[in-house]
Amino acid sequence: MNRFDLVGFRTLLRREILRYVRRPRNTFLPPMITNVLYFAVFGVVLGGRIDEIAGFRYILFILPGLIVLGSISNAFENASFSIFHGRWNEYIHEVITSPLSHTSMVLAYIFAAALRGLLVGAIIAGVGVVFLWLTGTPLGVAQPFYFAAFMLVIALLFASFGVVGGLWARDFDYLTVLNQFIIRPLVFFGGVFYSLDVIPEPFKTLSYLNPMIYMVNGVRYGMLSYADVDPDLALVVLTGLTLVVIAVDVYLFKEGYGLVD
Amino acid sequence: MAEAIRVRDLRKNYGDVQALDGLSLTVEEGEFFGLLGPNGAGKTTFINVLVGLVRETGGEAEVFGFDVETDYREARDRIGLAPQEFNVDRFFPIREVLCHKAGYHGIDHEEAQRRADEALKTVGIYEKRDTRFDWLSGGMKRRFMLARALVSDPELLILDEPTAGVDVQLRHDLWDIINRMNDEGTTILLTTHYIEEAERLCDRVAIVDSGRKVEVASPDELMSRGTDTVDVGLADPPTVAPTFDYDGVVESRMAEGRLEVVTSRGGALVPDLLRDLEAMGHEVTDLDIRRASLEEVFVDMTRTDSSVGGSSEAEEVVQ
Repeated sequence: MNRFDLVGFRTLLRREILRYVRRPRNTFLPPMITNVLYFAVFGVVLGGRIDEIAGFRYILFILPGLIVLGSISNAFENASFSIFHGRWNEYIHEVITSPLSHTSMVLAYIFAAALRGLLVGAIIAGVGVVFLWLTGTPLGVAQPFYFAAFMLVIALLFASFGVVGGLWARDFDYLTVLNQFIIRPLVFFGGVFYSLDVIPEPFKTLSYLNPMIYMVNGVRYGMLSYADVDPDLALVVLTGLTLVVIAVDVYLFKEGYGLVD
Repeated sequence: MAEAIRVRDLRKNYGDVQALDGLSLTVEEGEFFGLLGPNGAGKTTFINVLVGLVRETGGEAEVFGFDVETDYREARDRIGLAPQEFNVDRFFPIREVLCHKAGYHGIDHEEAQRRADEALKTVGIYEKRDTRFDWLSGGMKRRFMLARALVSDPELLILDEPTAGVDVQLRHDLWDIINRMNDEGTTILLTTHYIEEAERLCDRVAIVDSGRKVEVASPDELMSRGTDTVDVGLADPPTVAPTFDYDGVVESRMAEGRLEVVTSRGGALVPDLLRDLEAMGHEVTDLDIRRASLEEVFVDMTRTDSSVGGSSEAEEVVQ
């Protein structure tokens, strides 16, 4: 990327980040409140009646999954909403009629959305830490590299999926369908609230087809050094998948899919 | 002189509908070029091809020698667009929107802020710089659309109906700004429904219809191709208009007690006309010549084009 394009890229990235940073009541407060409820109900009220899972108190076991759920939902939502809203109101024309390269456009949308996912993840982690402290549960990050790597990759991956969603959507209902009927169920059945060891066959085997299993367990491995799947393999596959989806995003922008007539 | 815009055989199909049907035209650098045509003529589609919002089905389009598809970055960097629709980022105050637009053109933040302020002052809404677009009045919104097009200091300014729905004062303000840009060397491509606008501002005008070019000429040339009307007052007007049997007379008719002679020869016809009227025993009390307006020429050309279903002959003439 030459200097000329770098300025444009930075401008779009800044615009995208400012859009959500300036609206914390819409972007950061809702996931915080939702996760206070998750930790209070699942972690404290119900968790106190649930035996340890894999040697961890329940509130500690669900923390990585809730961080993943919040991060990927917000990364996806940010990219898909920003692009679709821009298309709907046509102000995305400011970007696509500019001399920015397609790669710069895509990376700016993805990085900004991934950052929002990571920030929401950090907020949820903060909420979790408070509840762990209140319940006297010790916390550490057992595998910092894996934790950081998985968080980064899944935030980028879902931001990239969000770009596809934003280009594909023809109506706001499409975004609701993607988030509520596809992503959220997959995450809930992705081992956020349980270990795969506690569910019977064939559901256990079927669960391995759910990509969320690898994300939740990757982050869980980073925090607790425990996972139902091989974290190295999961990291490699997810990184590869992320690169593929980013390439698809750039291709769609080049083709003008959903953007030009 | 270099070419700011060059399109050849440009085509765009939407299913069975041909929005552009082999449009070819050239706009010279520094020119003030008008695009006139009825609704659905393909004017906006043409503009959208230039800025990358529409992919052509066939043909070529270049801006300052750069192909709008293969060299899109170079082409778009030279264009400032004020579209018809208010497609403005509503999340940010207008000054920031301008800074973003400048930034997309590779202008660093500090310089972008300076240019944003300058553009807002140019169009007269600097005091509204911290307001979001939705809170501007209709006239201010139109001014802002122009400011956004100016902020990247474009070599080619494309204005799609820039004065649609604005009052007379604002229209004149916008004309002044656009004229000043053109005087400073910016090439202007203007589409408008206001014929007067094209007549007053444009060096040359292209009349397009059904996605094709019907004619390209200066407003004066176009008007000279229309018919003039010699309006004659008679002391004792007849009920039936006299006939004149010589070249250049298209029609003679009585209208509200006055004789109207429609002619393609304008004032040159008057001596013959006066002599014949005198020979017929009529006393002429006054006489007025009404030149064909660009609007009349425009209506004639687009109506004729639609009715005969082709303009290839006209295109050959102006190629």
